[in-house]
Amino acid sequence: MAYMLNVGERSDPNVEVHKFYGGAVLAVCLLALVFQAFLHKYGRWSELIDLPLLVTIYFGVSRRNPVTGLFLGGTIGILQDALSHDNPIGMYGIAKTIIGYLASSIGGRIDTEHPLSRFALVFFFFHFHQIILAITQRVLLNHSAPLFTLRLLLDSLVTAAFAVPLFALLDRLRRPS
Amino acid sequence: MIDTYSRHRPLALLAIVVVAQVMLLAFQIKGEHDVRLIRYWAVALVTPLERAGTWSFSKVGGAWGGYVGLRNARAENERMHIELDQLRLRNRELESQAAEAQRLSTVLNFRNAHPEASMLAAQVIGSSADPTSHTLFINRGEHDRLRMNMGVVTPDGIVGKIVEVLPNTAQVLLINDKDSGVGALFSATRTHGVVRGSGDPEPRMEYVVNDEKVQTGDAIATSGEDRIFPKDFPIGTVESAKPGNPFQVIRVQPSARLDRLEEVLVLLSQQEVVFKKPEAPATAAAATAAPAVEAMHGATPAKAAPANSSAAPQ
Repeated sequence: MAYMLNVGERSDPNVEVHKFYGGAVLAVCLLALVFQAFLHKYGRWSELIDLPLLVTIYFGVSRRNPVTGLFLGGTIGILQDALSHDNPIGMYGIAKTIIGYLASSIGGRIDTEHPLSRFALVFFFFHFHQIILAITQRVLLNHSAPLFTLRLLLDSLVTAAFAVPLFALLDRLRRPS
Repeated sequence: MIDTYSRHRPLALLAIVVVAQVMLLAFQIKGEHDVRLIRYWAVALVTPLERAGTWSFSKVGGAWGGYVGLRNARAENERMHIELDQLRLRNRELESQAAEAQRLSTVLNFRNAHPEASMLAAQVIGSSADPTSHTLFINRGEHDRLRMNMGVVTPDGIVGKIVEVLPNTAQVLLINDKDSGVGALFSATRTHGVVRGSGDPEPRMEYVVNDEKVQTGDAIATSGEDRIFPKDFPIGTVESAKPGNPFQVIRVQPSARLDRLEEVLVLLSQQEVVFKKPEAPATAAAATAAPAVEAMHGATPAKAAPANSSAAPQ
């Protein structure tokens, strides 16, 4: 996966691209998956936050390379599917591939450093991710997944609020330019 | 053409990856195949980390629980130590108060048993700084109508006499002081003598001829000849007696505990007192302790009978 993160098209040279310490991306993605699975044992509150989604968005907007972003999102999504036991492989994979791609694409166009913009970005991507999931489930699995509920709104707000300090923490893993 | 491909390469890659995953999904759904290999790798990758996390959580949780428990136990231990110290202190206070109530009840019973005598209860507040001098100070003085040479007694026996009167305190010369002398007699034989202090804790009875038969334990009482103590008040008992020249050497064990006096009675007159040992019923003690304390701390001397008090010489 580390190799995959380094291949693909280079970003626009006018766009600031953040680089991370070696292994940091891999470790954070892995920890996000582990925490998501691990914290589930300690209470339903962990369901409010989608850590793998947050990691996908963060590295997407930071590296600003759509190819890297889509592969990173796809890998995280497939691993998430694999650990969820009842999901067919690819459901989260498709959603996070698209989110990774979009986050990387948007990251080069708007300010993604300000906490408010990060909050709004995560809020938007959360619902977009949910829409992709719902469509996938409806079309491919014939499941009636909701596009929007109050619970999803609450989840998106909590996840967006949690993302702001988490992104600030992850900023420390950046290599100085 | 190449430029167009290069520009749209990410989008093309996205489409390829998404389509690939859709096909993977379709493969799983249509053929009801499970992609076990991917799941196996994912679980193999994540499970060790989860196991380590669970182990760390349980260890940290256990250590934290133990630490919190230890802190609570330590705090509780300290609290209980403080509580124990407070209870011990309170217990000592109560014991002291109970002992004081007992002593006061004895004094009060004695005073009630002698309504003919005018007495004033007093507390011992100090003693002489000179080790060779057997004196003590009481919390009564001139303002309480105390005068020189008034007798000081306890229900057990005589204590001494007042030798110095200050406005609010008085100094009492104990009967075992070397300057002290009390007219005395043997209660049984009525043989007279003088009990003098010798500087030792035990005074001596002097002027008893060698022919007089004196035995250990014989009771000695006041003779009333010194005009300080009423007649037949207990002084003590014979501790030892041996012939001397020209008189016997008789050591007297004082009836009053001169080394641990706390409350005493001052005889305001030399009215005759028919000595009776006070009865000290336990039930009466509590009921009478309060007036006794009042009498102890109040300024008005207790007079049992107006007729007696008016006749009592000061």
